[in-house]
Amino acid sequence: MKKIIIFSCLSLFLLPSCTDVEEKVYDKYAASEFYNSLEGADVALAGVYSKIGGNWGGVGYAGADNGWYDLNTMSSDEQVIPHRNTGDWQLDFARLHLHQWLPTDGIVGNTWNWLYNAIFSANLAIEQLENAKAAPAKIAEAKVLRAFFYYLLMDDFGNVPFFTQNNVTVDKIPQISRKELYDFVVKELTENLDKLPTTKGGEFYGRFNRWAGYALLAKVYLNAEVYTGTPKWKECLSACEQVTAGGFTLHGGAANASSPLGNQYYELFGDVLPEDETILAIFARVNVVSRNIYGIRSLNGPHALEVLGFSGWNGTIVPKNYYQKYSDADIRKKQFLIGQQPGGVNYSLEVTSLDNPGADRNAGVRNLKFYPALPMDGGGASNDFPIYRYADILLMKAECNLRLGDAAAAKPFVDAVRRRAGLAVLASNPTLTDVYNERTLELNWEGHRRQDMIRFNTFLLANEFRGASQNHRTLFPIPTSALNANTSLKQNSGY
Amino acid sequence: MQKSLFYWLKQLEAWTGIAFIKQSINQQGYLSLACLVALLMLELPAEAQSNRIVQGKVESETGIPLAGVTVLLKDSKVGATTDISGNYKLSISGKTSILVFSHVGFISQEIRVSDQTKLDVILKTDSKALDEVVVVGYGSQNRKDVTGAVATISSENFNQGAITNPLQQIAGRAAGVNVTQIGSEPGSGPSVRIRGITSLVGGNDPLVVVDGIQGNMDLLNQVPPSEIASIDVLKDASATAIYGSRGAPGVIIVSTKKNKSGKSSVEYSATFSVDRVAKQLEVLSADEWWQQAQANGVPAAANHGSNTDWFNILSRTGSTQNHTLSFGGGTQNFNYRASLTAILQNGIVVNSNNQKYIGRIQATQKALNDRLTLTMNLNSGINNTLGSPGSIGRAAFTSNLITNSYLMRPTDPVFNTDGKYYTDPNVFEYFNPYAISQTVVNEGRNNSLFGSLKADLEVIDNLTLGWFGSWRKTDNNWGYYLPAVSTVAYAINNKGVANISNNRQDEKLMNISLNYKKVFGDHSINALALYEWQNQTYQGNFTQVKGFINDIATYNALQLGDLSRVQPGDFSSYKNDRTLVSFLGRINYSYLSRYLLTVSFRKDGSSVFGDNNKWGSFPSVALAWQIDQEPFMQNQKTFNQLKLRGGYGVTGNQQGLFPQNSLSLVGAAGVTYFGGNPITNFNITQNVNKDLRWETRKQYNVGLDFAVLDSRLSGSLDAFTATTDNLLFNYTVPQPPFPFGTIMANVGSIRNQGIEASLAYQVIKSKNTSLTLAGNVSLLANKVMNLNGSINGVPLNTDYIPWGPNSYLIAGKPIGTFSILQHSGKNENRAETVVDVNGDGVIDQGNRSPDRVLAGNALPTHTYAFTPTLKHKNLDVSMVWRGSGGNKIYNGLRQTLSMMENTGKANLLKSAVPLDLYTTQYGSNLWLENGAFLRFENLSIGYSFHPLKLKSIEALRVSVTGSNLAVFTKYSGIDPELNVSGGNGFGGDNGIYPRTRSFAVGLNVIFK
Repeated sequence: MKKIIIFSCLSLFLLPSCTDVEEKVYDKYAASEFYNSLEGADVALAGVYSKIGGNWGGVGYAGADNGWYDLNTMSSDEQVIPHRNTGDWQLDFARLHLHQWLPTDGIVGNTWNWLYNAIFSANLAIEQLENAKAAPAKIAEAKVLRAFFYYLLMDDFGNVPFFTQNNVTVDKIPQISRKELYDFVVKELTENLDKLPTTKGGEFYGRFNRWAGYALLAKVYLNAEVYTGTPKWKECLSACEQVTAGGFTLHGGAANASSPLGNQYYELFGDVLPEDETILAIFARVNVVSRNIYGIRSLNGPHALEVLGFSGWNGTIVPKNYYQKYSDADIRKKQFLIGQQPGGVNYSLEVTSLDNPGADRNAGVRNLKFYPALPMDGGGASNDFPIYRYADILLMKAECNLRLGDAAAAKPFVDAVRRRAGLAVLASNPTLTDVYNERTLELNWEGHRRQDMIRFNTFLLANEFRGASQNHRTLFPIPTSALNANTSLKQNSGY
Repeated sequence: MQKSLFYWLKQLEAWTGIAFIKQSINQQGYLSLACLVALLMLELPAEAQSNRIVQGKVESETGIPLAGVTVLLKDSKVGATTDISGNYKLSISGKTSILVFSHVGFISQEIRVSDQTKLDVILKTDSKALDEVVVVGYGSQNRKDVTGAVATISSENFNQGAITNPLQQIAGRAAGVNVTQIGSEPGSGPSVRIRGITSLVGGNDPLVVVDGIQGNMDLLNQVPPSEIASIDVLKDASATAIYGSRGAPGVIIVSTKKNKSGKSSVEYSATFSVDRVAKQLEVLSADEWWQQAQANGVPAAANHGSNTDWFNILSRTGSTQNHTLSFGGGTQNFNYRASLTAILQNGIVVNSNNQKYIGRIQATQKALNDRLTLTMNLNSGINNTLGSPGSIGRAAFTSNLITNSYLMRPTDPVFNTDGKYYTDPNVFEYFNPYAISQTVVNEGRNNSLFGSLKADLEVIDNLTLGWFGSWRKTDNNWGYYLPAVSTVAYAINNKGVANISNNRQDEKLMNISLNYKKVFGDHSINALALYEWQNQTYQGNFTQVKGFINDIATYNALQLGDLSRVQPGDFSSYKNDRTLVSFLGRINYSYLSRYLLTVSFRKDGSSVFGDNNKWGSFPSVALAWQIDQEPFMQNQKTFNQLKLRGGYGVTGNQQGLFPQNSLSLVGAAGVTYFGGNPITNFNITQNVNKDLRWETRKQYNVGLDFAVLDSRLSGSLDAFTATTDNLLFNYTVPQPPFPFGTIMANVGSIRNQGIEASLAYQVIKSKNTSLTLAGNVSLLANKVMNLNGSINGVPLNTDYIPWGPNSYLIAGKPIGTFSILQHSGKNENRAETVVDVNGDGVIDQGNRSPDRVLAGNALPTHTYAFTPTLKHKNLDVSMVWRGSGGNKIYNGLRQTLSMMENTGKANLLKSAVPLDLYTTQYGSNLWLENGAFLRFENLSIGYSFHPLKLKSIEALRVSVTGSNLAVFTKYSGIDPELNVSGGNGFGGDNGIYPRTRSFAVGLNVIFK
């Protein structure tokens, strides 16, 4: 009797869910349900775009630091952050410029990780959009985005792991050759570009419309010889023609007191980029979406405090040789700062040492091409970043025509860019060197320089800070962390 | 006579004020009541009568009055307890009676009393102290019956002085229990590791059980240290397996003081201490700095002509006060104890303090003729903290506020001539630490409330039915205001930043148990069966606003901020919970009191385990042999006690498993620009692992307890080996295909092996004087067995994982093994050079670099303590010496403060001058130092006045204590006791809140 009483008492307490240990989630969404809705699919596509903007942690295409932008600009001759003899700045940036980067360098690893994280989200978006039976234009857009990231991988690293489905194990992910990846990118783009909308601006600002897609394809063809050994100048030219069909023109270059640096030209690097010339932009609003640190990073503390209201980082400089390529008449020279500045700072032309003992506090020419757009603070500004703009396409057309032997056809394109910059047109038909020089002047700090130098075979040449570098430096090494995690990967030769 | 249910309910009503005999009982209440009625139908015997008073005094052989001695009238329930002066008073009936005097550690005496009214007694010490009660999980045992490795520290052995956290009382007191205090920040408690690091990310904090209430380490902070009667530490798995998936890191069981029946008491105790900075780094004076600045080409503009001692203006003499008023009383069936505690700390860094107030009440009521025992606990605490900012700095170096004072140029003024805080725009992210200390508001309030009810009903003889329920709620509220005048760049950028975070914790636990105890001839059995359910809910929110016109309202009016500055991350909220359901059983069996067996089994189901592993089993078995009880030992004189123990158990650790870890979830990930607008971005927040489960720790333990030389030398020896399998870790996975480089999984294993010895020797043992030398040593060998395995059939390749500055997890090596570049000198530019070990012309600083050389480890291999005690008449003196060694420390702070290139923007250590290194790009073994130390932790001298011929005061004790009196070490930083607990910053020194040296006076008064 007692036992019965005891057990019935026990069961009283035990009854309410006595063995229920299911997990309840109160503050997040379950991934499978979320992405299988149409709203979720749209969000997946938006999520891929969130990977493009630059931000802390070395992620993004451009706008912040320690990622793809620094890797591809500081390894060229256009900019570098020297170690300062005041103990400021780590040596990673100087190593890039001196062509002494290591497979363990953080910037190399960040770039790799960012690109594969972006490809993962593109794969996810494609899968979710297909599951949700989304419009073909959206699926095409996600595929073009993925091709964009693979193109960047191909450009920096050569032979890389390739996957288009997330739900696979690493042994099913082959390391394909640069040529194979090139073929994939070209195929993916040619199959999808015509499905993209032709809308410019508005809801397509910062997105791949058809024109941005063709600009990407033109870039791939432009460097085809580097990637595969086989040039594709004709194909590049026709892709550029497709972009031209989008109705782009060069933005003005007139003096304008209300524009940054007193010239309309710099609106191309300002807050919202003008639709006439900009083909693809990264939207930035500091601390909200992406950021742009390139102005504040360059200026010395008291100088930036005086002119911008926030202390500068005293980072990036422009090497003397690069700065001296600009003539005084060129409106593009306004972006550089040298000599006495507000805040009691005096920038010198010469930088004697990049690493040890390092550069003096005020050594080096500074740059405000991205004159900080509001809102801004000491952590960056809100300038949007031009991935592709029409001046680049014009110079690509000039280059293709020249490479195909038609110098006369190239001349108007180079002249157009020069005229806008306030320079005289060329006296005679351009040479390839003229095109290269014009690219030097027009496209500095926009992320194209390393690629251009490799294509024009100038990347390995000695410069004011180092001797000639070895052939393997045209590719970056696969980061050590990736090799450790996947032992079947083969390192690029020379590393 | 038999008493009716009505009588008992009336009684209950009288005691509790709750009307039971009304209709306001809900449905469940009725059912429970019905059960109660049914159980009450058992026969209940009548009470005894009383009519005569006997009183007297109980003393020890050395003449010291014994408090808390139980005096019982034999074969009855009439009893009393001696007070602090050893006096007792008892009313008895009948002409001739037998009184039984018993006390822990003494031999019980039975004395026949006829008609005398005064009876003084001297109790002889029981050298074997076998009757000491040891609290084990879900019950207690006599020391002689314990089969596992359990350390008991009772209040008379606690460290004294300005105690702010219970763990400080047991530092150095138990082998294998390593209590580490990093700095003396007000409100910060020490960390404790029991038998080393058992987990990498899974958490190493032991489970804390306070009077049955289970919790994390923060629970300890809510218990007044002076109200603790004893702390038991369960060390080996045979003891902790009863706590299943929470038992792996060990268990700390705290028992609070309870009042004795039949005695009322009022007691006040207080300590007051003066706290000073024990050691500070020696940096250059203004003149010395200027000399170095000139030698290193620093422009004269960097010298601002002042002479500021930055450390001095940011530090002060601190103080700690500790007050406890406690009182209690009781009748034969009822007793209670209430206390109010205040612990007030003023830190040695300006504007850092902590106030802790704890009120508690504990009551025990017996009923149903002593068959039902109800125990209630209620504890409410308030904890207010004013914190010194913990993480500030320039881009290259971040530390706490006081450490940043070392970096300040001594020639910088504190104020500009206009009275504003000085800053220097020429230095990137310059800030003025004094401005921060004066203008930043950083204050926290923590309210905690916990209560429990325990009901034990002896259903039939030997069988007890128990119910226990506890509920604990913690509300944490933190307010922060960083004004632009603080000179911090982030605050200037945003024109002031204010935020409030609220975090709530709600923890419920309920268990039902059946306990059966019986002796059958030579066999004795004690069996327990228990069902337990617990749930913890965590909820909170965070709100931040920037852009304030002025600093008047600080964080108290967020609506005054600039709403246009709202950014992603400025507000957030969360809620999650975890449920653990357990079934457990344990049998203690003893034969002839010589052969002891303990077997336990626990099954745990937890909501945080992955879908594929919801339930786990945790068995244990232990044997003990009381060799001295054997007939063949009866004729020997060497051993007064000899006991051999051995045990094995499986425990789990689920601390590292947070709710939602095993699921694929989508959360907010800032903002993305899409469709022409910035919109909320969503992201998969983690790599998925449905197999996620607890870590499993298997431990073997062998122990020996002995006493020789007429019990003057006694001790214990334990050896153990413990392996943690299914090691939770963020394993390296290839990217691609994973979107992140790591995944939380159960793959590897680590092992700890150790030997622990504790010894006590009574050198002098006489009527007036006793001198005991006690101490303990623990040796610990730790090894990362394996970090690899596979996930979904894909092999992982996890190794050389950074685990601290230049220390790594390397398979086959101890946790936190230093693998470091070798300093070789400096080049012509005074830049540090290191050895190119593989001679390839490149210094590789990667984790697996061949240029790195293994150089010791971050974890101490041995810890030891020496705790002598001297008693002479009313005077007592005790000391604690404590040390550890076998480890190295990477002194990153010294590196930062030694680079000549920093002279223009920062100060340097005096030791940097002879070193004369301009710059380095390496973290080399130049900064790696020996971490061994011996600390003179505590010296206490006390004097007791008793008996006192005062009307109102019964006893009085005064004491003085010095803490952290000396540190013997080769380490050059301010204190070698750093983070050896595992986790971030392990083995490195990046600057800590200074450790104090304190001098305390203590007072303890017992009122009549």
